[in-house]
Amino acid sequence: MTANYNAEPLLEVKGLKQYFPISKTYTVKAVDDVSFKVYPGETYGLVGESGSGKSTIGRSIIRLYDPTEGTINFCGMDISGKMSKDVKEKLRIQMQMIFQDPMASLNPRKKIKDIIGEALDVHKFYNSKEERDHRVEAILEKVGLAKEHADRYPHQFSGGQRQRVGIARALILNPKLVIADECISALDVSIQAQVVNLMKDIQAELGTAYLFIAHDLSMVKYISDRIGVLHLGHLLETGTTDEIFSNPIHPYTKSLLSAIPIPNPELEKNREAINYDYKTSGIDYTKGTEHLVDGSHYVKCTDEEFAAWTK
Amino acid sequence: MSEEKKTREKILDVKNLDITFETTAGKVHAIRGVNIDLYQGETVAIVGESGSGKSVTMRAAMGILAKNAVVNSGEIIYRYRDNVGGIDYNPENDASAQWKEADILKMDKKWIRKHINGRRIAMVFQDPMTSLDPTMTIGKQIMEGMIWHYKIDKKDAYDRAVNLLKEVGIEDAEKRMKQYPHQLSGGMRQRVVIAIALSCNPDLLICDEPTTALDVNIQAKILELIKKVQKERDIAVIYITHDLGVVAKVADYVNVMYAGKIVEVGNINEIFYEPKHPYTWGLLSAMPDLGTDDDRLYTIPGSPPNLLHEKEGDAFAPRNAYALEIDDKLEPPMFQISETHWAATWLLDPRAPKVEMPKELKARIERMKKEAQANDSKL
Ligand SMILES: Nc1ncnc2c1ncn2[C@@H]1O[C@H](COP(=O)(O)OP(=O)(O)OP(=O)(O)O)[C@@H](O)[C@H]1O
Ligand SMILES: Nc1ncnc2c1ncn2[C@@H]1O[C@H](COP(=O)(O)OP(=O)(O)OP(=O)(O)O)[C@@H](O)[C@H]1O
Ligand SMILES: [Mg+2]
Ligand SMILES: [Mg+2]
Repeated sequence: MTANYNAEPLLEVKGLKQYFPISKTYTVKAVDDVSFKVYPGETYGLVGESGSGKSTIGRSIIRLYDPTEGTINFCGMDISGKMSKDVKEKLRIQMQMIFQDPMASLNPRKKIKDIIGEALDVHKFYNSKEERDHRVEAILEKVGLAKEHADRYPHQFSGGQRQRVGIARALILNPKLVIADECISALDVSIQAQVVNLMKDIQAELGTAYLFIAHDLSMVKYISDRIGVLHLGHLLETGTTDEIFSNPIHPYTKSLLSAIPIPNPELEKNREAINYDYKTSGIDYTKGTEHLVDGSHYVKCTDEEFAAWTK
Repeated sequence: MSEEKKTREKILDVKNLDITFETTAGKVHAIRGVNIDLYQGETVAIVGESGSGKSVTMRAAMGILAKNAVVNSGEIIYRYRDNVGGIDYNPENDASAQWKEADILKMDKKWIRKHINGRRIAMVFQDPMTSLDPTMTIGKQIMEGMIWHYKIDKKDAYDRAVNLLKEVGIEDAEKRMKQYPHQLSGGMRQRVVIAIALSCNPDLLICDEPTTALDVNIQAKILELIKKVQKERDIAVIYITHDLGVVAKVADYVNVMYAGKIVEVGNINEIFYEPKHPYTWGLLSAMPDLGTDDDRLYTIPGSPPNLLHEKEGDAFAPRNAYALEIDDKLEPPMFQISETHWAATWLLDPRAPKVEMPKELKARIERMKKEAQANDSKL
């Protein structure tokens, strides 16, 4: 493990709200009062069902949106409000995001070598054209692509190859924080493992921190030091990977863990997951406050719920 | 469906498909002699490494290959019955419905658009954003196909669209109808694409990584929904997925693909419990295992073949710890293991030395079998 918990947090999100007004009467509260920290060299896994606000948190942190409320502190800089040019520039180098929809985030008219090299260009990270090409080829190989791929356009790749182009683009600048939004979900297990091992190597070497957004809990379990469980924009439970997997407290977390598919056909055909329905659960997320379970394990709920769930 | 065993109707027969792509760096030989059979009402999974040719094969079946693709050989025979009775017509209940067949590779664009795309064969594409129009509300996009293919009225299409959104687990369906793709989460977009695919009641549903962006609960819901539709209408489903958990849940048969070829095919238990091809061994060994706490994941050594430079012999040989000398010279044919199980590896040749799958995998499979048995006796 490379996480440094004695250091100042690399990223600190406090009371983040991200609302989207759709019409006069309809506002989507995509992220509702979320707080968490990511330490240097740490991998923080963010899990939760589709639509729970994971990508929105990532996009707010990297400031594709103006947060509705709350503060975001990164590398000791406040990045939640209006930023100075200097802060913006640092943010663009030190924080990178791997987007969930690779096709939508890659310019279809640009060759792969320029899509990846662009990041280097912006920040003048090389001395000669040869060095630029060399660095692009090196990172392509690291993510399991070939140097011949450098001259192709995004649509000439398979889905998983495209996803790796996005990964290469984010990693080439050696950022301090990488927001990886479902970055390996389209990859087969072997290449998933290759990319995850690569991310771990880079982390061990450079102390990179990852905000690892994913729904695949077996992979999250494998890669994360700590995990946050998100549902309907609320961060319901957080703790070390071990705390969450061995002692889930919130009924939502329990249902999520119970539904992990097992690659065993005879077993899988007869299995049923624990059902969880917020509407009929009697739980009101807006009434919850943070309760310490033990260690670094917290759950958001009312005092009564906490007493009932931990007895 | 009646209980007595009826004859299996083949609806798709991909024969010896061979495709190259022209690129500035040269010819990419992406598909090298693929054969796939698919029967009505059955589910086939295609698994294999990224870049092995899964999506290209299915795009060929849909008649929508990229412009730089060249089909060198092969046939894609699609068998179907004319849909004469509108959107809710089910030829299963019509004794007069006759089987017809067409080679999709020989049909023109117009015929394909009218008869195949979206209507009889629907595909859920891997990257949802590429198949959604960013400038059109999702409601319109779901209604479009039904109106175009079946001429149903707007009101009917609207009600069906809302219903489909609910079925794929999207809440506030009526409000979502008015939204644009970028206002939805990644997983919602993926489900909209699934709703569109189901909207025209296809006979064949091709799902290319349909649940990659979905959490396990919604994934389960979607897989159930597809199963339900499959039961009701006896449609065939092809899943392309790298998630072996999904494969275990849904598939009757599994095709394992490597470098543009099917290297092993078998029924679900044969592939999971008695795999024969070293590549399949690698694939199964690389599954994350919740039962262990290993610090590093297993990866198949080496990198995927560069399809620009073809090598002699078996494409998998350079990464295969069990490769024989002959693997560098001659491609292995498909060896038959059972009525349904085939694998392309020289290890199955009677003259080959006897080789067992890796110990760790064997142990794991034994454990899986025991778990399954224990579970059975509980029921
Ligand atoms: N238009 C194209 N031009 C050149 N090469 C292409 C083109 N489309 C696909 N390819 C190549 O063909 C091979 C097969 O691609 P395909 O999309 O079928 O892979 P896949 O098995 O679906 O992989 P994934 O799991 O990553 O989606 C890949 O090596 C890809 O780079
Ligand atoms: N630009 C936007 N405008 C309006 N609503 C939005 C916008 N972006 C996201 N939302 C809404 O915010 C909610 C959370 O979306 P988000 O993309 O963060 O979910 P997610 O957890 O990443 O889900 P998934 O796993 O499906 O990708 C959804 O209800 C979505 O429709
Ligand atoms: Mg998302
Ligand atoms: Mg694909």
